[in-house]
Amino acid sequence: MSRALSMKTSALGALIVALLAATTIRAEDIVVIVNPAAKPITKEQIADLYLGRSAELTPLDQTAGSAIYVQFYKKATGRDAAQVKAIWSRILFTGRGLPPKQLPDSEAVKKAVAANPNVVGYIEKSAVDASVKVALPLD
Amino acid sequence: MKFKWHPAAAAAILGLGTLPVYADPTIDQYVHFSAFGTLGEVYSDYRQADFTGEFLQPHGAGFSRRWSPTPDSDLGGQADLRILDGLTGVVQVIARDNDDGNFKPRVEWANIKYAFTPDLAVRVGRTLLPTYERSDSQNVGYALPWVRIPNEIRYSNSATHSDGVDVLYRIKTGAVIQDLQVQFGRTSEEFSGAVFHGKDLIVVSDTVQYGNTSVHLAYQTMMYTFSTLPPARFRLASAGFTYDPGTWFVTGDSNFTYYDFFGHFYAWYLSVGMHVGRFTPYLVYATEDAPTSEPPSGLTALGDERTVGAGVRWDFAKNIDFKLQLQRVIIETTDAPASFNNVQPGLRVGDKANVVSLTLDFVF
Repeated sequence: MSRALSMKTSALGALIVALLAATTIRAEDIVVIVNPAAKPITKEQIADLYLGRSAELTPLDQTAGSAIYVQFYKKATGRDAAQVKAIWSRILFTGRGLPPKQLPDSEAVKKAVAANPNVVGYIEKSAVDASVKVALPLD
Repeated sequence: MKFKWHPAAAAAILGLGTLPVYADPTIDQYVHFSAFGTLGEVYSDYRQADFTGEFLQPHGAGFSRRWSPTPDSDLGGQADLRILDGLTGVVQVIARDNDDGNFKPRVEWANIKYAFTPDLAVRVGRTLLPTYERSDSQNVGYALPWVRIPNEIRYSNSATHSDGVDVLYRIKTGAVIQDLQVQFGRTSEEFSGAVFHGKDLIVVSDTVQYGNTSVHLAYQTMMYTFSTLPPARFRLASAGFTYDPGTWFVTGDSNFTYYDFFGHFYAWYLSVGMHVGRFTPYLVYATEDAPTSEPPSGLTALGDERTVGAGVRWDFAKNIDFKLQLQRVIIETTDAPASFNNVQPGLRVGDKANVVSLTLDFVF
């Protein structure tokens, strides 16, 4: 009985931790990644790519409105999700281009970046491995 | 090049745009559907004319009715096509109150683009003219900081689109990105009871971006006919800028237009806004002045007016915003002031209209 209760409590605890992790992520825990064969990149270039001003590389997104998405855009571009959506709406509805493709999680972004030297992405620092190169820390 | 669209076909595209079309990943590679729209209501306390959302609309709020949904409401659907590597296409259909006072859908964009390199492309088909900084997205409320583009600057060009060909070239110099455009085409625009035709249309535009700063320069020239008038020359030079670091913005635009028959038009606006959480309050000042003392048309001070306005954008939910805008329009002519139509004999220079606009803008 008490074991079942403690299991329930720890499950609840894990859920709370997971929810907190989902709603808050620190900028220093996010990194911009490129393919190991890609050229270095600056913070200004990242803002240009993710706000559609430049198309030198293809930017990859995470799910719009997710914690990592919100924190990434805040730090990299100084804008919130609605502002970013407004900017891409203008680009989209003038036929200039489609917004960055959204991938479900950091694993998917890492896989795509590892496979293509012409794309750029952002993931949790903890997800980095040898298949990709950290282009710059977000903070 | 002329695009005649059956309303049913246009409605089908609009209908498709409302469906989540991501179920089949193979189709997703070739075509992308999206849509936008605005639901608006406008109130005007001025009874001697109708306040409109653009000069083409025959009716609005004020004289015909106190509240009107027609100035700003619209619905647009778009299909982006990826045909081959480097070869893409876009078709956008929009339903918006027009010269006939109905919402018959029309084709806003329809072009095929081929990119020779990432920085050099050619487009063939219909595009919106780069008359001022935001003329290419003037009907996409969600992409605008205000309820609508200031009517004063919208008034300075009778044409909105070009059917023809253009070359786009991007030049990068360090962190400065320059987009050059040269366009050749023709255009036409239907007014209540008359048609504006433009041919030999040539446009040169340059958009310079440096981080959060952008500058837009454009020059247009064409030969136009309006109603039964003989062909005459049209020229327009425009310059606009925006500085938007995210927390606040300042933006301005100016047009200098010359019509052989109607004379000179000078229009500009300046706007500042702040971003506070989900709210973006803003101020805007706009003016249009036609200084030619004796144009061949005999219409002096065509369109003259000034607007002082304040408003707020509220991004209260994902992909949808609510805007409230209060403005005072000072009428400076009896000849078709830029924001008004359906002008009554009682209209006097110096009259003021107080206008309240509410809109819901959405994209999906």
